[in-house]
Parts: sequence; structure tokens; C-alpha cells
Amino acid sequence: MKWRWLALAPVLAVLAGVPWLGDAVLIQFGINALLIATLAQSWNILGGFTGYVSFGNSAFYGLGAYGTAIAMAQWHQPFWLGLALGAVLAVVVAAVLGGPILRLRGPYFAIVTLGISAALSALFANLDIAGKNIGLILPLTRDDAMFYELSLGLLAAATVAVAWIARSRFGIALIAIRENEDAAAAVGVDATRYKLAALILAAVFTALAGGIHAYWITFIDPAGSFDTTLDVRMVIMTMFGGPGTVFGPVIGAFVLSAIYEVLANGISTAAALFFGLVILLAVIFLPKGLIDLGGGFRALGWRYFLANIERHRL
Amino acid sequence: MLFAQILVDGVLLGGLYGLMALGMALVWGVLNIVNLAHGAFIMLGGYVVYFLFVAGLDPFAALPIAMLALFALGYVIQRGLLNLIVRSALLNTLLFTFGLNVVLTYLAQLLFSADFRTINPSYAGANVTLAGVTVPLAWLAAFLVAVLLAGLLQLLLDRSRLGRAIRATAQNLDAARLYGVDPRQIYAVTFGIGAALAGTAGGLYGLVAQITPYIGATLTAKSFVIAIIGGLENPLLVILGGIVIGLAEALASLYLGPTYSDVISFGLLVLILVLRPARSLKLA
Amino acid sequence: MTKTMVLAGMMVVLAGASAFGADPPRSISLGASLQLTGQDANTGRYYRDAYNIAIDQINQAGGVKIAGKSIPIALKLLDNQSDTNLSVRQYVQLVTDDKVDFLLGPYASGATLPTSSIAEKYEIPMVEGGGASPQIFSRGYKFIFGTLPPADDYFASIIAMLGQLQPKAKTAALVAADDAFDVSVAKGTRKLLAEAGIEIVVDQTYAAKTTDFSSIMAQIKAKAPDIVLWGGLEPEVLNAIRQAKGLDTGAKLMMSFTVGVPTADFRQALGKDAEDAFGMTAWLPSPTLKDDWFGDAAQFAAAWKAKFGYDPDYHAAAGVAAVEALVKGIESADTLDRAKVRDAIAKSDFASLYARVRFNEGGQIVVPQIVIQIQNGEVTPIYTDHFITKPIFPVPPWGQRG
Repeated sequence: MKWRWLALAPVLAVLAGVPWLGDAVLIQFGINALLIATLAQSWNILGGFTGYVSFGNSAFYGLGAYGTAIAMAQWHQPFWLGLALGAVLAVVVAAVLGGPILRLRGPYFAIVTLGISAALSALFANLDIAGKNIGLILPLTRDDAMFYELSLGLLAAATVAVAWIARSRFGIALIAIRENEDAAAAVGVDATRYKLAALILAAVFTALAGGIHAYWITFIDPAGSFDTTLDVRMVIMTMFGGPGTVFGPVIGAFVLSAIYEVLANGISTAAALFFGLVILLAVIFLPKGLIDLGGGFRALGWRYFLANIERHRL
Repeated sequence: MLFAQILVDGVLLGGLYGLMALGMALVWGVLNIVNLAHGAFIMLGGYVVYFLFVAGLDPFAALPIAMLALFALGYVIQRGLLNLIVRSALLNTLLFTFGLNVVLTYLAQLLFSADFRTINPSYAGANVTLAGVTVPLAWLAAFLVAVLLAGLLQLLLDRSRLGRAIRATAQNLDAARLYGVDPRQIYAVTFGIGAALAGTAGGLYGLVAQITPYIGATLTAKSFVIAIIGGLENPLLVILGGIVIGLAEALASLYLGPTYSDVISFGLLVLILVLRPARSLKLA
Repeated sequence: MTKTMVLAGMMVVLAGASAFGADPPRSISLGASLQLTGQDANTGRYYRDAYNIAIDQINQAGGVKIAGKSIPIALKLLDNQSDTNLSVRQYVQLVTDDKVDFLLGPYASGATLPTSSIAEKYEIPMVEGGGASPQIFSRGYKFIFGTLPPADDYFASIIAMLGQLQPKAKTAALVAADDAFDVSVAKGTRKLLAEAGIEIVVDQTYAAKTTDFSSIMAQIKAKAPDIVLWGGLEPEVLNAIRQAKGLDTGAKLMMSFTVGVPTADFRQALGKDAEDAFGMTAWLPSPTLKDDWFGDAAQFAAAWKAKFGYDPDYHAAAGVAAVEALVKGIESADTLDRAKVRDAIAKSDFASLYARVRFNEGGQIVVPQIVIQIQNGEVTPIYTDHFITKPIFPVPPWGQRG
């Protein structure tokens, strides 16, 4: 088992070398892909392992972005302090709201998270310190290599966290909750505490990604920070790669980011349309993600796709 | 007078919002699908009525045609696409309808352009003033259509064979099969009815506001909130949910300022879900 | 792996060598990321068409003159789907991947604020005709120039005109959206109204993209102000007017809107309800506005209509002026060196079909607004610093217009 982790070292080294080897476009694409992969990986902690589908992780992303922006633009504090403030805000919100909302199941949990993000967006659009609906402008920094390495470090940390979860008792408890929460509770799993811990962990990574993005893009507003399409993107990417796995969300995020970037810059206007079609096809043919495709395709060949439809059709 | 005027506005627009949510609540209750493309159906209904209006038809006469067109579209989408994944995890149906929303929105942009479309018949601005309160006739008509359709849906579900089949399917697929009901057919018809209701709401919405390919997302969110508040049990309660939201937004706008109406409606959504988590939300 | 890297390295060196060679460039590339789809596509198209028509016209006249040679312009446009974050990424791509020489702006203040940071970051001049908020120009940036006049002054000429009209306006309702542009408008207008001695009896800010204005209308109705000044984007303004009519709400004397009134869409969507609405424009297609490439503004408007099938408005003219300011800057700098071109643009002073183009310290143009009113279905110029046409004033109640 150990050697497989060592095999990752050169991959990580190449990724870390991108700012010196690649051009500005690649760095730019890299920062975006690494950050969205971090979001997908954080979403995976709760959504992938416990099956609690959140459509509101953008709430933590937005809090991270606003924490950073308020500290830097309004209070003239250094970046790292802003990052910390954003993470603290996200943890507080996750801890306070986590208890009541994690009692909800299925679509109701999804909706309540969506509602929280939308309500926070509307709330920040009314806060003077957050620049109301116009948003805040952060100081300009030209050091893209730093943003890249920070994003890479964050993704690596989130992935290590997930890898640990996957092999720990914590992770087993989370999966037990996904498979049958009532049964898990019956054998003594303190479901509430585990779910809350997973949510808070997801909130921290998500908020840090939001803070890095805010400083890099130098501008934030409520619509861009508490962005529902971001929620959908992290969910799609996790699902496309393989939810509840260690590398699925990362692979899904990289592959879909690349497809989207090519579409947005190549055929521009039709890009969104094609992206929608990719989602439809993925749900029909790959409901368990790319990670499942390898084994499934080896076993069944092309019939793998038909089997997926057969399983979920009426 | 100010207060009375705001109450009347809130109730009338709230009725229209309720009609928007009605189709979503029906589909949710019966098929257990939270349809994120619901707003796109509202948008498409708006376009159908708009083009018929431009061709010389009265918007209210165009409503039944929009209903039929959207029913057909909804039926085909459920039969041809959604039935393929309907037993998949919740996450997958959410993603699928989201993808559907993206596709419909951008197809509309390609076909109809991003221009604002306005359904503006000569009587659109007509109103009557009663005891100092001005009632726009178009809003009143939209409100009445909403209540009428909710009542008809209630009758359909309670009294007709189709209604019984829909309710049976909602409760238990296997039981429904035993009684000789084809769930694929019932799902498609139910989804079609949901789309038809959305289309009607879209036509009426065009009398109040502009239609562009992008109005869907906000209207989906609104329908969502109302479906939760009104519950999935009773069509007339959904309209009432719409009225609650209409009033809440109008009052928030008056007392807190117009930038707070979203804080209130989404805050209300979160609060209701958290305070009444165990509530059953089945329509039919 | 190593082989391809060496190869790639060689290509980079070669590309660099040709870029720094003694030959003058074969074409000058301009890049922009615009709202061609999504929420803002309706106005975004003005900029797509403006950039295209301006560049075609300049190329037909031989292109840009540098060091005695004429060089054609190439345009690279990307669609940001009305997504601000995507727009920022696309500007980085334009700069780093497509290696465009200069940048043109996107539409609206909201998108211009963050994307101008990219121009500043890479020190590439960006001239934009879509963002009017003074916030864009108050950050000490050196590489951003704007051809829309400052948002704070949008209502200045309207308020000046009211001072000359009987009966005198004494009370006002001021309503504005909470986007970057309209917040600036409201802020400036509060000051202007106070200076003119007009009392603000209703002062409301609403969330951008609001569609239901019924409670604002009820408050206006309750206070019955003499005038209503409304700052909002076009779809909001259209909704507001329709709902004002439905709820029988209006001002005793007049209503004016920042955006929408000069556009063809506005009259088409509202029909008779557009009648008598006041608005403003920084530009009208007058033959007195001479232009080096299009002759004058009237000829430009005719060429535009023939090419695109709809009438240009001030967005269109401001977009063309943005291209012209860049070209004039390059010609007077006589080089593609970005810092030198930047300095030349800052010193711009030329007549165009849009206005006399001169930028203030922050990089924004200063042009007075012309008061307009819809009379008999036509956009009619009313007032600049003197009356051009007699306004319909006070405006008759709903149902008696047009």
C-alpha cells in the first residue's frame, strides 16, 4: 500500500514545478483547476462519505472570500490574517448551523444548504463593511506563482485529509451513516457528532479556497462569492470523478475544468450549452463517476453504460 | 392606504408565484424529483405566449395553447430522458435537471436571442381604484387564473381516474403496477402537467415583467421556497404559500428596504425547514 | 518528455526572436471578453458590433499608421456568458495566450472593475466604453481609460433643466439599484438635488435584478413627489414603468431614468407607455460630431443601421470611441510599446463621432449628458445647457399620453 503513495511524489513534483515550466495561461488554468478541485474534494468529505448532498458549500467559500477581503481591503491586514479570519467565520457558521440542519435528510438538507448560501448572499449585499452589493476591491499582487503553490498546497492538504478519513474509524462511521443512518445510530455511532465534524472540516478547506481566490482575482461581490453555479460545479466534478473516493473528485475536477476551458475559449458562445449536455450524458452513462468506469468497463465492456441505464430507469 | 396597497400587491403577485410553484410541488410530490429546470419551463411558456401575442392573439387566449405545448414538451422529456435516471440517487436527478436547465436556457438564447420580450396588450396597464387602493387588472386576472388552476388540479387529483392513478403511483410504484397502472405513463403525464402549469405561469409572468432566456434560475429558486412553505400536500395550499412569500417580500421591502426581500424569503425557507423537519410534504 | 520540452523551448525562443525583430508588426491585435450570452447579452452586443464596425472601418482606411507604415488591426473576442469571474480569466488568457497587444473593455461597471485589474496587473492599456462608475478610475490605476461619463453626474443636466422649467420641482423620489453604476448615480444625485434645493421624500435602493417594484410604487404614491429619478439597468426600468402604470403611480411633473430611454428596445417593449419618459444620453447621432473614419455621427448611425439592422445608441458610440482612442494613442506614440501608448492615450484630445475625447486624471472622459424625452415615439433631444426642443412638461397622467 505504501509504495502507491510514493508513486504520487513525482506527480506532485511536476505539478509544483508548473510555475517555472509552464506559461502564464497554464498557471492561470492551474490555479482555477486546483481551487475548484479543492472545493470538490471538500464537498466529498461530507457529500461523498456521508451522502449528505450539500448545495450550499458556496456559503463557506463566500465567508472565506469575505473574511479575506474585509481584513485586507477594510482593515489593511496581511493576507494570512484574512485567510484565518475567513476560515474562522466559516467554522463558526458551520458549527452553529450544522446541528439543526444536519437533522434534515435527502432533498431537505440540499435545499436548506442552498437557502443558507442564498440568504448569506443577500445579507452580505446589505452589509456596509462588505461593500454591499458592489463588493470589495483587494490590493493587486502580481505573484501568480505564490497563488499557484498555495492552491496546490491546499488541495494536497484536503486530499491527505480525505485519504486519512478513508482509512480511519472516522471514515468508517461516515460511510455507515451513508449506508443506513438509523442502523449506524443503533450500533452506537454518534451520527450527529461525526456529521458535524465532517461539515466543519469541509468548511475550513472551502473557506481557504475562497480566500485565496479572492486575493488572486482582486475583486469579490455577493453574486460571485455565494455562487450557486459554484455549488453545482463542485458537485458535478465530484460525481464525474467518483464520490466517496480519494482521487475521484480531483480527477473529475481536472478533466471537467479542462473540457470547460477548451469549450469556453474555443467555441465560446456554445460552451455553456455543451457543458449542459456533458452533465446530462454523465448522469445517464456514468452515474458512479470516472473512477468506477475503469473496473466496470473491464468487466462489462460497452454494456457497462447500458447496465447503468438499466439500473436506474423506470 | 400605503399599507393596504402593499397588502393587495403582495397577495396578487403572491398568487402568481404560487402558480409558478404548483408544477414543481406536483412533480416533487409524485416523482420525488426536485426539478431545477422548472424555471426554464416557465420561461418557455412565456415565449410561447409572447410569440402568439405578437402574431395577434390575446395573451389570455394564448394561455391554453402554451399549456398544451409545455405539456407535450414535459411529457417527451420525462418519457425520453428523465425516466432513464429516475431511480438514480437524489444527487443524480438534481444534477440532471440542472443540466437540462442549462441546455434549455442556452437553446432559448440561440433561438430567441437575449432581447427583452414584453407581453404588453393595450389593457396591460388598466386598473381600478377601490377605497384608495389601486388594483391592476392584469395582476388580478393572473391571480384568478392561479386560484382556478389550483382548484382544477385539486379536483383532478381527488375525483378523476387519472388523479387516483397519480396518487397511487406517488405512494407506491409496485402497488400502482398491480392495479394495472403503467408508472412510466403516469410519470410522463404528471411531469407534463407540471410543465403545463409552469408554462401558464410564464405567460402570466410576461404580463407583469420581461421575458428573457435567463429568468428561469430565479423563478426556480422562488418556486422552491414556496413549495417548501406551502407543502406538497394540497394545490391550494401551494397558492397560499405563494401569497405568504408575496406578503413577506412586500412587507420586508416596506419596513427593511427593498434590498432585504431575498434575505427574508431565503431566511424563512431555512427557518421553516429547521423548525419543522419532520413534516410530510407529499402532494397527492 | 525531455525532447518535447527542448522543442517547446526552441519554439518559445523563436517566437520571442520574431517578436523582438526589427520588422514592424504585420498586424495589431486587440482583445476583449464580452457578454455575448447570459443576463447582459442584450447590451453586450452593442460592444461586439461597435468594436467590429470601428475596426473594419479603420482597416478599410488602411489601418494604423506606425513609422510610416499602415498596419491592419485584428480583433479577438471571447464570450464571458455574463460571468464576471470567467471574464477575468478570459482577459488573462487574451494577454498571456493570445498575446494581444491592447485591450478593449467589457460591458458595465460590475465587469469592468475586476477586469481592469488584469490590464493593470500586466501593464497593458485597456480602453473601455462600458463602465461608468467612478470606482473604476479612483484606484490609482494607470492603464485603464473609459469613454462613458462619470455615473455621479448622470442626472446633472436633468436637474439643471428642471431649474429652468415652471412649475418648479420641490420634491423628488430617488430610486436606484444596488449595482456599482447605480449606487454611484444615487450618491451623485443626492448631492445634486440638495444643491438644487429639491427635497428627497422617497430614497430607496433595491436589489439589482428585482422584478417586483410594487412596494416602492406604493411608497412613491403615498408621498406624491413632483419628480421621480430612477437609476437602474434596462430590464428593471422596463418593469418599473409597466408597474407604475398598472398601479397608477407617477410623479406630478415627470419621471426620468438613467438607462433605457435612448434605446430602440425601450420604445419597442413599452409602446405607448414609453411616451413622455425623460432620460439622458451622452450621445446623439448629430452631423456636427465630425469623425476621422466615419465622416460624422449621422453617417456613422446610418452605416450602423445598414450593417446591423438596428439603431446605435450611446453604448455603441462609446464603444467605437474606445477603439479610436486606442488607435489614436498608438499612432501618436508611433510604436506598440505599451507604456508609451498608455502615455499617449492619457494625452488624447481629438474629435470623434462620439464626443471630444479627453481623459481626466483618473482616465475617464468628461462629456455632458443631453436630456432626452420620448415624444411621438421618437427620442427627442431636449436640453444641454440650453433648450433644444420644448419638453412636454408637466407630463400628463397615464392614459393621456402619446
